[in-house]
Amino acid sequence: MEVSTAVRGGVGAAARRSRRRVDGWTVTTVVVALLVAGPLLVLPASFIASPDALADFKGLLPNALRATAVLIVGVGVGTLVLGTGLAALVSFCDFPGRRWIEWAIVLPLAMPGYVFTLFALGTADDVGLGLATVRSSLGAVVIFTLVLYPYVYLLARTAFLSQAGDLMEAARGLGLSRGRAILRVAVPMARPAILGGVALALMEALADFGTVNLLGVQTFTNAIYKVWFGAFDRDAALQLGTMLVSVTLLLLLLERASRGRARYGQASSSARAQPPVRLRGPAAAAALIGPLLLVALVVGAPLVQLAAWSIDSIRDGLLAPEFALAARNSLMLAGMSIVIVAAVALLLAYGRRASPSRSSAAAVRVATIGYGLPGSVVAVAVIVPLGWLDHRLDDAAGIGLLLTGTVIGLFVAYTVRFLALAFQSVDTGLERVPRSLDEAARGLGSDRLDVLARVHVPLIAPALLTAGLLVFTEVMKELPATLLLRPLGGDTLAIAVWQATTESLYETAALPALLIVLVGLIPVGVLIRLSRRAAA
Amino acid sequence: MSRRSLIVVTALAAALVAAAFVGIVLATSGGGDDELVIYSARSHYGEEKPFTTFEQDEDVDTRIFGGEAPELYERLRNEGDDSDADVLVTVDAANLWRAEQAGLLKPIHSAALERNVPANLRDAKGRWFGLTVRARTIMRSTERVGPREVTTYEGLGDPEWRGRLCLRSGTSDYNISFVADQIAKRGEPAVRRMLERWMANDPQILGSDVDVLQAIAGDDGCDVGLTNSYYLGRELEDDPDFPVAPVWADQNGPGTHLNLSGLGVVAATDRPEDAQRLVEYLTSPKQQEIFARNNHEFGVDPDVVPTEEIEQFGRFKRDPIDVAGAGRHLGDAVRLMNQVGWK
Repeated sequence: MEVSTAVRGGVGAAARRSRRRVDGWTVTTVVVALLVAGPLLVLPASFIASPDALADFKGLLPNALRATAVLIVGVGVGTLVLGTGLAALVSFCDFPGRRWIEWAIVLPLAMPGYVFTLFALGTADDVGLGLATVRSSLGAVVIFTLVLYPYVYLLARTAFLSQAGDLMEAARGLGLSRGRAILRVAVPMARPAILGGVALALMEALADFGTVNLLGVQTFTNAIYKVWFGAFDRDAALQLGTMLVSVTLLLLLLERASRGRARYGQASSSARAQPPVRLRGPAAAAALIGPLLLVALVVGAPLVQLAAWSIDSIRDGLLAPEFALAARNSLMLAGMSIVIVAAVALLLAYGRRASPSRSSAAAVRVATIGYGLPGSVVAVAVIVPLGWLDHRLDDAAGIGLLLTGTVIGLFVAYTVRFLALAFQSVDTGLERVPRSLDEAARGLGSDRLDVLARVHVPLIAPALLTAGLLVFTEVMKELPATLLLRPLGGDTLAIAVWQATTESLYETAALPALLIVLVGLIPVGVLIRLSRRAAA
Repeated sequence: MSRRSLIVVTALAAALVAAAFVGIVLATSGGGDDELVIYSARSHYGEEKPFTTFEQDEDVDTRIFGGEAPELYERLRNEGDDSDADVLVTVDAANLWRAEQAGLLKPIHSAALERNVPANLRDAKGRWFGLTVRARTIMRSTERVGPREVTTYEGLGDPEWRGRLCLRSGTSDYNISFVADQIAKRGEPAVRRMLERWMANDPQILGSDVDVLQAIAGDDGCDVGLTNSYYLGRELEDDPDFPVAPVWADQNGPGTHLNLSGLGVVAATDRPEDAQRLVEYLTSPKQQEIFARNNHEFGVDPDVVPTEEIEQFGRFKRDPIDVAGAGRHLGDAVRLMNQVGWK
C-alpha cells in the first residue's frame, strides 16, 4: 500500500512537471530521432574527412547514375502499370473467384528479390533463357517489378475502394466509357496513393543489394560494395552512400510535390461505392487466370523449385553448415526486433501526437529516413560511431566489444533501417483514435504515459501487430547489414542463402530460402485477415 | 486494470523483454575465449577436412567464421586489439597483403613453416603463408575451340573471340587480383590495352566461375573464358565428359597466373601457440595433399601431386602472384577495370 502511494505521488509529480514543461514529449521525440538518425551523419562527414576520395572512381558514378535511372524508370513504370491495373481490375470488376484473387495478388510481397533471383538464375537454362539475359538491367527491372508491384497494388486498391461512386457515375453520365472513366477520373483521383506506392517500390529497389549484386547491375549499392571491398576506400563508399541518399530524398520530394497542395476529397463513409461490373465468359476467365498465372510465376514456381532443391540437398547431404543454428538466429533476431522497433515507433508516434510541434514533426521525418537507405550504407554508418564508442568503453571497463561484437549493433542497424515501416502502421493506428479520447482521459487525471498504456495501446493493438509483423519479415530477409554486422556465431538464414548462391550452389541455398519465404507468408496472411476484417 | 496492476504488468513485461534481449545477445554471440577462432574466406561447403582433423589431431576446439575475404579484413580492422579472431584465412593474396599492411597479422617463425612453404609463397617476415595455390587461366570449349587456338591472356582480345568470350564480373577478387598482378608486372598502359581489347569482344559477364564454365559447356555463345582451374576439377569430378578444358596461358612467356590462398596469425590473438600450430598443421605435406585432393587446387609445395582431373592436362609453367606488387595496385586495378567497362 505504501509503495503504491509513493508511486502515485511520483507519477503525479511527473505529470505536474510535464504539464509545466509542455515540450517534454518533444524533447523525447527529438532525442530518439537523433539517436536513430545520428549515425547517418557520418555519410556527409566523409566529404570533409577526405574531399576527393571519389576522384579515383570517377567512372563508377556515371555508371551508377545510369543504372539507377534505368531502374527508376523501368521499375517505376512496371509497378505503376501492373499494380494499378490489377487494383483497378479487382476494384471495378467482379468475377468468380475475385475475393481470392484480390488477396493472392499480395503474396509476392513475401518473396525477397534475391530469392527470386536465385530461382531465376538456377532455372534460366531449363527454360531456354541464357544466363546473360537474366543477368542484365532488363532482368533486374523485370524481377523488381514482379516482387514489388504489391506496394502499388495495395495502396491503389484502398484508394479506389474509398472513392465515391457518384463521381464515376457523373463521369459515365458525361459520356465516358467505363474504361475511360477509370483512366480519367478514378486513377487521377488515386494519384497520391499510387505514387506513394511507386515511391515505396523504388526505394526498395534502390536499397536492394542481393538482387543487383547477383545480376551484376552497376547500381549505387553495387558501386558502394565495389569501392569499399574491392578498393578498400571507406570514405569513397560513404560518399557514394550520401549520393544515394540524395537520390532517395529527391524521390520523396518529387512524390510530395506531385501531390502538391491539392486536396483530394475522399468519400465520406456514407457515400456508396460504385457497384463493380460483372465480367462474364472469356473476360471473367481472363480476369481470373491472368493474376493467377502471375502469382504462380512469382510465388508458386519458386516455392516448388526451392522445395525440390531442398529435398535434393537433404538427400545429398548438401545442407548449409549449421543450418539449424542459422534458423534459430534468424527467428530470435527478427522476434526481438519486433519489440525494439515497434517500441521506438510507438514512442515517436505518440510523442508527436502528445506534443505536436515543428520540432517533433521534423524529428519524425529525420528518424524515418533510414528506410530509403540500403542496408550496407546503414551498416557502415552504424559501425563507425559504434565501433569508436565500443573501443572507448572497452578501454574504460575492459568488457570486450559490447556493441559491435554482439547483435546489439545489428539491432541498432535494424532500427535505423526499418523504423519507418513500423512508424507508418503505428501512426496510422494512432490517427484513428479520436483526440477527444486523450483529452477525456487526461481530464480524468491520467498523465500522458498512463493514457498511452491504458487507452492507446489496447486500441491500436492491430496496428502494433502489423508493425511488428512487417519488421519481422524484413529482418528475416535482411542481407547486407546482417552480412557486415553479424557477430561471431550470428549467421542467419539470409546469410546461408547468400553464401551458397554466390557460389552457384543453388541446391544448398534452397532450404534456407524456402524458410524465409514461408515465414514471410505469415505476416502477409495476417495482414490479409486484418484488412478483410476491417473491410467486413 | 488498476494502476498498481498496470505497473506490475508493465514491469514484468519489461523484465521479460530485457531477459530475452540479454539471452539473445549471449546466444548469438559465440565468445571465442575457449576456442581457436578462424576467420575464413574459403568456401565452407566443400570438403575442408584439414580444419576438422586439426581439432582431433591437436585437441584444439575451433570455430570458423565464414565470409568474403574483404569483409573479414574490414571486420578485423574494426575490431582491432579486441578481436576474438586468432587466424585469418583468405582465398587470395590481395587480402593477405592488406591485412599485413594494416598491421593485423603477427609474425611467426618456425623451421617447419620454412620447410613447408617455399620462400616465394610466404612473407619474409612471417606474417602470412601460402596455403594453396590456384591457377587462373583460359578455359575453352572442347567442342568448338581447338587447344592451340588461344594460348595467351592477350589472345582473348583477338577479334575471333568477339561474342564468344565469357568473364566473371569485375567485382570478383580473383579478377581484381589478376589485373593488379598484371599491372605490377607489365605496367598499366599494357594492361589497359589488353583489357580494352577484351572488352571490345563484348564479353558476357557472369556471376561466378561456375557459371562461366557451365556457359562454355552449354551453347549460349560462350566458347572461351577465364576461371580458376579447380572449378573445372569439380565439374570433371561430377561429369568426366564435361566439355571444357584449360589452356595453360602464357607458357612461352611468364607462365600462368597463380593466386594464393593463404593464412596468417592475427595480431590480437590470445592463443598464439594454437594459432601457429594450425598454420604448421595446414601447411604440412600430409594436409597439403588432402587440400589438393579435395578441392583440385595445387599445394604450395610443387611436389604435391594435383588430382587426376587436373593432372591430365599436364604440368605447366607457373607465374606466382607478386603479393606486394599486386597489393599496391589493387586500387588501380579496380579503377582500370571500371574505366574499360568490365562490369
